[in-house]
Amino acid sequence: MDLMRHEDKRLITGTGKFSADWNFPGQCHVAVVRSVHAHARINRVDTSAAESTPGVLMVLTAADVTAARMSPIPSGPDIKGVGGQVISKGELPILAIDRVRFVGQPVAMVVAETANAAHDACEVVEVDYEVLPVVASVEQALQDDAVELHWNVDGNKPLVFESGDEAAVNQAFANAHKTSSITINSQRLYGAPMEPKAIVVNHDAARGVTVVHTPTQGMLGMRASLVAVTGIPAEQLEIVAQDVGGSFGLRGGPGPEHALLILAARRLQRPVKWVAQRSELFIGEWHGRGLTLAGSLALDKDNKITAIRFEDHANLGAYNCYFGGFIGTNNLSVTMGGAYQVPALYMRSTLVLTNTVPVSAYRGAGRPDIAFAIERLIDHAATEHGLDPVEFRRKNFIKKSAFPYTTANGSVYDCGDFHTVLDKALDLADYKNFSQRRQSALAADKLRGIGIGYYVEKSGAGGAPKDEVSCHFNADGTLTLHAVSGPSGQGHETAYAQIMGEGLGIDPQHINYQAGNPAQKLVGNGTGGSRSLYGTGSAFKNLIDIVIETATPFAARHLNVNAEDVAFSNGQFMGRNGAKGVSLIELAVGLYGSTGNTEKHPFDVSAETITGANYPNGCHIAEIEIDPETGVCEIVSYNAVDELGNVISPQMVQGQVHGGVVQGAGQAFSEAMIYDASGQLMTGSFMDYAMPRAGAVQSMVTDTYSVPTVLNELGSKGVGESGCSGSLPALSNAMMNALHHVGVGAMDMPYTPHRVWNHLQQAKLENTA
Amino acid sequence: MVASTASAAVGRGKMKTVSLQVNGRAASMEVEERTLLADALRDELGLTGTHIGCDTSQCGCCTLQMDGHTVKSCTVLALQAEGSAITTIEGLAPADNLHVVQKAFSNCHGLQCGFCTPGMIMATIELLGHTPDPTDDQIRQGLSGNLCRCTGYLNIEASVRAAAAELATQKASLPEPRTSVPGGRGRR
Repeated sequence: MDLMRHEDKRLITGTGKFSADWNFPGQCHVAVVRSVHAHARINRVDTSAAESTPGVLMVLTAADVTAARMSPIPSGPDIKGVGGQVISKGELPILAIDRVRFVGQPVAMVVAETANAAHDACEVVEVDYEVLPVVASVEQALQDDAVELHWNVDGNKPLVFESGDEAAVNQAFANAHKTSSITINSQRLYGAPMEPKAIVVNHDAARGVTVVHTPTQGMLGMRASLVAVTGIPAEQLEIVAQDVGGSFGLRGGPGPEHALLILAARRLQRPVKWVAQRSELFIGEWHGRGLTLAGSLALDKDNKITAIRFEDHANLGAYNCYFGGFIGTNNLSVTMGGAYQVPALYMRSTLVLTNTVPVSAYRGAGRPDIAFAIERLIDHAATEHGLDPVEFRRKNFIKKSAFPYTTANGSVYDCGDFHTVLDKALDLADYKNFSQRRQSALAADKLRGIGIGYYVEKSGAGGAPKDEVSCHFNADGTLTLHAVSGPSGQGHETAYAQIMGEGLGIDPQHINYQAGNPAQKLVGNGTGGSRSLYGTGSAFKNLIDIVIETATPFAARHLNVNAEDVAFSNGQFMGRNGAKGVSLIELAVGLYGSTGNTEKHPFDVSAETITGANYPNGCHIAEIEIDPETGVCEIVSYNAVDELGNVISPQMVQGQVHGGVVQGAGQAFSEAMIYDASGQLMTGSFMDYAMPRAGAVQSMVTDTYSVPTVLNELGSKGVGESGCSGSLPALSNAMMNALHHVGVGAMDMPYTPHRVWNHLQQAKLENTA
Repeated sequence: MVASTASAAVGRGKMKTVSLQVNGRAASMEVEERTLLADALRDELGLTGTHIGCDTSQCGCCTLQMDGHTVKSCTVLALQAEGSAITTIEGLAPADNLHVVQKAFSNCHGLQCGFCTPGMIMATIELLGHTPDPTDDQIRQGLSGNLCRCTGYLNIEASVRAAAAELATQKASLPEPRTSVPGGRGRR
């Protein structure tokens, strides 16, 4: 049976193992008491009624966390800002101590014999809240008299960050022939992997090891953060994640619940299980985006861009968690010049705390947002000054001959060919005949628009010093690969097996992959920043040669020739004497157990690579039609040409592009996390938070173009997040193009029928007024 | 029963017995009245292929067949399934003989993380059962109760089309057409 991916068999038969699928004899269950107020002082938490509820084993409060000397959730890197100021952080405690700062913040946890009993008991945990003033938005949080969320964060501003040369940009604007400005809003989203967060902790007292089953992007990163939070030594913690139902950036590190379950399991000496309800994840899992970017550009008399400036605001939510601070600073700055040769760049961003769920990474983590902003700015300027958006881009693109290109604020784009990619996309989209299609649409009373999004994004450099991989040859002639990077749908098992299979001449079906096996003691990055293929994959590419080198002397002995007379090709070792060769696998099976230790085959070796970021880019072109009578928008054409360097698996790359583009379409047309002024979330379930369903994007033509990077052994660039970076600007530019054509100005996402209809009516009123 | 007294003592509500047929086998389980079918199958029978992705019946991950029709098993109380025949994702491919729809999802790369996949496959089987040659709109309608966050649906739609084509081919080539759509109650 030929299935497309190794992981498919178990996933299509229901025999995969997601975190909630783990059960252990004697396990108990937990439920979390969460704050119902956006901002309140906690005067008292009375757990007595809950503790006397039948089946309840324990109720944990902040006092237990303090007694266990747990640390807050990791608050991210110490980013420096204007004048060398270091970010000040409001840290999220495992359980709220004397104050809650967002609806959904964990206050207590009930442990009971059954999940139902735990949930029932949560209802009778009495929390005496004294409600405090709320700042639910950036505007409210920055007011002079706004309540401050944290004693150590002045004015709710953890940091004002800058990048680039402000004086040079000011000078360029002073000398500009014309300028253009636009503010875009990348609204708050919820990443919502389909597998709800689940944790099953089993403390193995005999080994002294606490085993945590939970969805994660990388077991080592998860463990390192749990070590930091719980103080438990790394060797006493094991993370198990067999199948992970999506991650999208939300699953890099633990939430408060992980620490609480560990505490409960060790204290009770029983397995403890928590399966989150989706509605509590809407208020209890990290949110994404939440950025406002105000961009301006300056043009000379030839319409060459002389400077770009951004003034950004990032809503971090109530606490600094994980990547929150990184998104609105570094990730917005690195590609702020987009695909353009811009002599002067300057951006300043203000990080702001509000009484909302903390924001961390969501697919792209700032890179789609800046790609969106820069490409909207380009289109807006073209529209404002009557320039052709294609020619305007061509004129200002960084030329192929200019690579490696150092941007005005210090990013080094290693390679690219933006003109060729643009041309390919224009062809694919039949751009030149758009006006005919617009006329046909008009005849059917539809407003049709076309939009280009040329994104450049920086895929992840990775936090680990290197990516290590290893392999183990099994008795049955199969090969097991090990690395750190944990999959959550990307197809690591298939891609790594393909790389090794091609290199070693082994059927990839006989190669399996294990992520994060602690016994391997490997160093490496988890999945994130679109880097698993080119980071871990490149290390596997290096492993091929090391396996062959290691096996060659054994092959020589087997073939009775000198090692230097052995050649390897298509999985076979051949001697120069023309005798019948031996396959690597035959050789390996014959040597199984020869070291006296079946765990250690003589061909078991490891390899590594050190690779930083690279710059995937591409051109997405969308066409949309608006029905002005209803405000309903339809994506009628979508074409994407992505420049990803060498592509290893075209089908899986296309899958990543599809998924990313449709997540972008979700943000563009339907998704938004909305708070009311009191900090209550108005979009707390899939009934209110409209994720795309089948048909959201009805067709998509994808193609790739390769300018291989020399920055990693595979010559590949990241693809995981580029779909969002391409689709946000392409879809939005298409929308604005359709509106502009009938004299209607720009609007913010999401372009829901109601909002679009209102926008059109408002424009009609203004035009007749 | 001793067991249920013990359960009550540790915080269970009133326990009842429900008897049903699951994937062709008789099964019986003790559940609280409020227990949902999805939870009962997962927790009492260990059939964890039926996934639970939300608590508002929006995501469709828990879709299965009850008496030949798909239901979201989070909208059915376990007690309501008394006497019915249930087919879950685990019951589709006895002895490794994959269902056409299962194969199509893999071949068309209609899954990435795979969490929504059991529900998607069950919904597809229902759709193709009553609409063997669906239009694109009918496919989207047939999947409208199921959310996927990874694939963007394009390859899921392709999987449905491929499965429909394959089923049609099989039907044409078999003298006595065997349905590949599990028939709920009538199933082995």
